Amino acid sequence: MLRASLHRTASHVQLRMREALFAGEGAEPVGPISLDLRDAERLTLSFATNREASVAAMLAAAIVKPTAGSVLVNGFDSRIQPAACKRVAGYVPHDPLPLTRARFWELIAYRADLWAIDPKRARTLSEDLLARLAGIHEAFAYPLAAALVTSPQFLVLDRPQPSFEATIGAVAVGCAILTTRVSS
Amino acid sequence: MNALRVPFAIASARLFAERKALLYACAAAAIAGFVQRGARLEGPLFFCSLLGIVVALIQGPGRHRYLDVCEQSAPLFGRQLARGKALAACVAVTLACVAYCGAMLAGGASLSIAIFGIALAGSLATTLVALSATIRSGAARALYVLLAVATSAGAFALAIQPGWRASVAALAFCVATGFIALRQYGEALARFDPAAES
Repeated sequence: MLRASLHRTASHVQLRMREALFAGEGAEPVGPISLDLRDAERLTLSFATNREASVAAMLAAAIVKPTAGSVLVNGFDSRIQPAACKRVAGYVPHDPLPLTRARFWELIAYRADLWAIDPKRARTLSEDLLARLAGIHEAFAYPLAAALVTSPQFLVLDRPQPSFEATIGAVAVGCAILTTRVSS
Repeated sequence: MNALRVPFAIASARLFAERKALLYACAAAAIAGFVQRGARLEGPLFFCSLLGIVVALIQGPGRHRYLDVCEQSAPLFGRQLARGKALAACVAVTLACVAYCGAMLAGGASLSIAIFGIALAGSLATTLVALSATIRSGAARALYVLLAVATSAGAFALAIQPGWRASVAALAFCVATGFIALRQYGEALARFDPAAES
């Protein structure tokens, strides 16, 4: 009972960053970033450069580990349990993926294998997502559908096209969304 | 089943993405094997080791961005990713080695099981060592490539000693080196930061 109760309380905050800082070799450090992102909440972070926005998005999606501070995804520390963090996070990179339709289905099957989900269900879900993303260019719709097909609890959008944000919000129902942006 | 699903998925995706390079490697190995005369270890061991280094280096990030993004954001441990990528490289090198030795036989050269075994084991160990170079840059990358070359040279130096024990020692050296290299690659992938490249 106690464990279940604690889990429910922790999962209420999808992403918690506390003084999270990334310092790469020979580059300006990114951060420190402190934020709480709760269920179905939406948050936008603005940065001065593309690199800062990109690194911040990867920090939030547990793809890179913070040099200082902490990043907790659904209660899991990205430094200690990155795999558990990535299971609930969806990441959409900024650069469009130049995929053909056939390559997209291969990507969906690949993601189904890596996330250990049913490939048929993944394909059906991605067909539905693509139908709902009609109007968004395929180069942007494909990575978004690929990220959503694993049913993430929160989504990290690295510098998305502003004109697509309304559609993305309508498709990612119930998902907490963190968006990065370049202030200039 | 899930333990096998991930490495097989990674290996098949990587092999499919690099199918042209795989074909060229096998064709080059077949030509080199066909022109070889005599049952000598140097040809298959060093040629397939060279192909192994090339095949390992093309597993690095940047060539297939959609695969890289997918793997980096997937809920995988470094060791799982390492096994998948290593499996892809090892399948490619095994096919090249089989093509080389098959062409040797077709060209009229004699071939013993020991030569085939040591050539295969040596080139696989070299490939596994070279994999660690893919996630490093500069001097560290060059060092891992040199280590890979030294692995095939070490296997050769052991195998040419007289007596059957030399072949066993060469095989044991390759197995031990390959195992340590794979563990090291998994550890390095777990610590790998894509942001350090940007």
